[in-house]
Amino acid sequence: MQRSTLLLAGTALLTSLLTACSGGLLGSEKAAEGPIRIGMAVPLSGSSAPIGPNMKNGAQLAVDEINAQGGLLGRELELDVEDEACDATSAVAAANKLVSAGAVISVGGYCSSATLPTLPVFDKADIPMIIPAANSEQLVQQKLRSVFLINPTGAQQSEAAIQFIRKRQARTVAVLDDNTSYSTDIAKRTTELAKQAGITVTNTSVTPGESDYGSTVTKVLSGNPDFVYWTGYFQEGGLLVDQFRRAGYAKDFMVADGSVDPSLASIAGGADGVFATMTQTPDTIEGAGDWIAKYRKAFNAEPGPYSTQSYDAVRVAAEAIKKAQTTDGKKVVEALEQLKDFPIFSGPLTFNDRHTLSQGGFQILVVKGGKFVLQDSLR
Amino acid sequence: MGRWVGPAGLLVAVAIPFVDASPYTLNVLTTAAIFVMLAAGLNIVVGYCGLLDLGYVAFMAVGAYTSGILSTAFELPLLYTIPAVLVVAVLAALVIGAPTLRLRSDYLAIVTLGFGEIIRITATNLDFTGGPTGIFGIPGIDVGGPAGFYFVCVAVVALAVLGSARLERSRLGRAWMFIREDEDAAEAMGVNTYRVKLLAYVFGAIWGASAGVLFAAHLSAVSPQSFVFLQSALVLMAVVLGGMGSARGVVVGAVVISVVPEVLRDLGAFRYVFFGVVLVVVMVLRPQGLWPVRRREPERVDAPVQEGVRV
Amino acid sequence: MIQLVWDGLFVGSFYALVALGYSMVYGIIKLLNFAHGDIYMLGAFAGFVVLSGVGGVTAAFSVVALVGALVAAMAVTGGLGVLVERVAYRPLRGSPRLAVLITAVGVSFTLEYGVAAAGANPRVFPVRVESQAWQVLGVRITLAQLALMAIAVGLMIALDRYVNRTSTGRAMRAIALDPKGALLMGVNVNAVISRTFFIGSALAGAAGVMAGAYYGKIEFLMGFLIGLKAFTAAVMGGIGNIRGAMLGGLLLGLLEAFGAHFLGGEWRDVFTFAVLIVFLSVKPTGLLGERVSERV
Repeated sequence: MQRSTLLLAGTALLTSLLTACSGGLLGSEKAAEGPIRIGMAVPLSGSSAPIGPNMKNGAQLAVDEINAQGGLLGRELELDVEDEACDATSAVAAANKLVSAGAVISVGGYCSSATLPTLPVFDKADIPMIIPAANSEQLVQQKLRSVFLINPTGAQQSEAAIQFIRKRQARTVAVLDDNTSYSTDIAKRTTELAKQAGITVTNTSVTPGESDYGSTVTKVLSGNPDFVYWTGYFQEGGLLVDQFRRAGYAKDFMVADGSVDPSLASIAGGADGVFATMTQTPDTIEGAGDWIAKYRKAFNAEPGPYSTQSYDAVRVAAEAIKKAQTTDGKKVVEALEQLKDFPIFSGPLTFNDRHTLSQGGFQILVVKGGKFVLQDSLR
Repeated sequence: MGRWVGPAGLLVAVAIPFVDASPYTLNVLTTAAIFVMLAAGLNIVVGYCGLLDLGYVAFMAVGAYTSGILSTAFELPLLYTIPAVLVVAVLAALVIGAPTLRLRSDYLAIVTLGFGEIIRITATNLDFTGGPTGIFGIPGIDVGGPAGFYFVCVAVVALAVLGSARLERSRLGRAWMFIREDEDAAEAMGVNTYRVKLLAYVFGAIWGASAGVLFAAHLSAVSPQSFVFLQSALVLMAVVLGGMGSARGVVVGAVVISVVPEVLRDLGAFRYVFFGVVLVVVMVLRPQGLWPVRRREPERVDAPVQEGVRV
Repeated sequence: MIQLVWDGLFVGSFYALVALGYSMVYGIIKLLNFAHGDIYMLGAFAGFVVLSGVGGVTAAFSVVALVGALVAAMAVTGGLGVLVERVAYRPLRGSPRLAVLITAVGVSFTLEYGVAAAGANPRVFPVRVESQAWQVLGVRITLAQLALMAIAVGLMIALDRYVNRTSTGRAMRAIALDPKGALLMGVNVNAVISRTFFIGSALAGAAGVMAGAYYGKIEFLMGFLIGLKAFTAAVMGGIGNIRGAMLGGLLLGLLEAFGAHFLGGEWRDVFTFAVLIVFLSVKPTGLLGERVSERV
């Protein structure tokens, strides 16, 4: 063949280079019209896969509501969801795909370590990011002006946790994390704060995805704690509640917001009396039952962790675009910075100069009859 | 036609951005290029020398972390970290290889898997590696935006693939294949098998760590989740799928393994179901790989093992 | 301290059950069956489906229902194991050994994400074994733990007898030793391999149901980590050796318990793997393994 065919192919390729399709390096940018595209990268595969649909549905609900009211700037909203798999490579591919598809704002981001490398991708394309779930301090350390966190940070959550721990007059506290950045962040800060408060405290990690935490439970109980704080997610949280109880532990057990899910109680086979540090949720807000009913009706599923935050992220995005009267990234960022007391589930939203929530709004919930209800508003 | 395959492939790789230069396409291409480099490196260890390595991304992690930490802590341009990366990679290869290379096949496999996990977990637990969040804000290699960086990657990877193909034909390469075919015979013929195997490891580590540097530059962040066991398995799949020991086959395999999941992105939940089926079907249809090496000598008849059961 | 030993042995018996299948398959066709952990996962889901189908089982019948689900799940996973071997492994016999490794990973993806497509959320097992605990020598032991360990040990003894005392078992050992010779001596190699897959997969399925019933939570990736651990356990015990796999499983459970206790959970796996590496450098064939020489 082969030489001639290949030469032919080569010539063909070169010709196509010279004529240069519009999408190529030598081509021009295509203009974006039509619907306003909102990008969202969430985990849909891998071990965090269960979270993705919660976030996607929450965001979709807000998009549908806004579209039902006539859209934004006379255009419809459209939600573009991509899989980030909680893995840096996938997340960057997803972010680039969203940029290429013409997204003007991003409302995704769940795993902090996978979200971090996507920040420069969106930032370079002038796309503001309203991150609904990922809340590691490192996200705002790079001081990118286009990054906003609407989930309270680990610092705020650990302060709420220690406040409650002191209220319960615990003397020996065991903090357990799952060795992911979200979880260790809260755990390390809580441990530090507890030490400062003169409380005896230990911190240990478990490997997420396993079933048996018996040896960890034994180890923790050998220190005779009167307060256990789990800062990971509900899957392991449910197992831990169960295994601590089976091992005879009957004192205080508290979980962080990643574990606030009805499944916690069902996995544990009952979790009544378990406390949680959590921002406001539809369950704890008067009159938010409508929202839950709407969500159920739309997706035939219960809202899960980060459904509300994703819903709010879209609303915040829409509000900023409306204020800016354009989808231009820089103007939208300015509008976001100027938002004042915009009502979202966790309370009135105003961004501080670090682009995180100026108040965390954490409160303490307790499981009663399998449901999380308000225990202490910490005010 | 053999001579034209490499240049033609390279031409295609260089030409694609002129046809489609969306950030997404460039990203997929860059990721694929880096993956090709990894596969070329693992091919030295598994394909040439026959050492089953299930923890290969450990070397990539070593490269990515070393360059990431040095460049962020001392605000160095990424290129300046390369000497350090090479030194650390060679050290890592010696540390991992020295105690384990006396083991054979599947015992070696579990030990390399163990080392891969040890490196990942250690990076998660230590503070100077950034804990579970990892290192971020790594300076890229700035040469005319993502397209420029992609061309740099293509150039480096092309050199790496060529280099590995050269190694195959060297004296050392022949020693590797001797060991792969019959270690005892190689030993008997005076090959210092231990040292030669260690060298395969060292070369594999250098390739992997260099890919790690490109990886860090590409993503601007390095975190432990990028180095899970599944990644090692994927690189190994690229090598086997392409055709073990075949430099060009491995390039094809790597492109398939890194691009197919992206192509299947729109299938949503069924993405990996299809990917799995594709893997099974391809392997059943082409058990020697997509583009296996042509053996110059007739296949040795394996006396004691019955064909039907030799798996 | 004794509590730690008990914790380790209990987890270890799960590892051992899964490791058995790994080791049997390896012994007979030298394949690292990476899909084996996912068979365990499917066992748990099969049990889940059966028990959900039965509906509200009253406490009195829950034991009967559980045993029924156990048997059903073992049948399902056993059949599935045979099917997987037939479709993805058998066509590749005679090909390079690593080719089968790839189809194994392919099968693993297909199984995991096939289940995930039906809903990635973790499921809660409809029946849960709960019972009172006794203090024996300062160790908390529950009836449920004892019952599960008894089942595990029973299955292992049955398997050991089967392999060592029956003609099929003899055929398995013959194939492991010399496939060609076995074929010439009239052993139906394919049938024996199918049977090996059936037994190994059924054991993993049983472990899956037991894990579901004891821990309460099942999800599509639950087989991944335990598959990796079973592989480790099988190698520790001397891969291909059935008693070695049991021993390796228990040993791994103990190592993990002690590692987690003295070094903390975050360093546990580093400790386990480090011990494994040191151990294999001293005794390269595992606890009970014999020297094998084959190539990749």
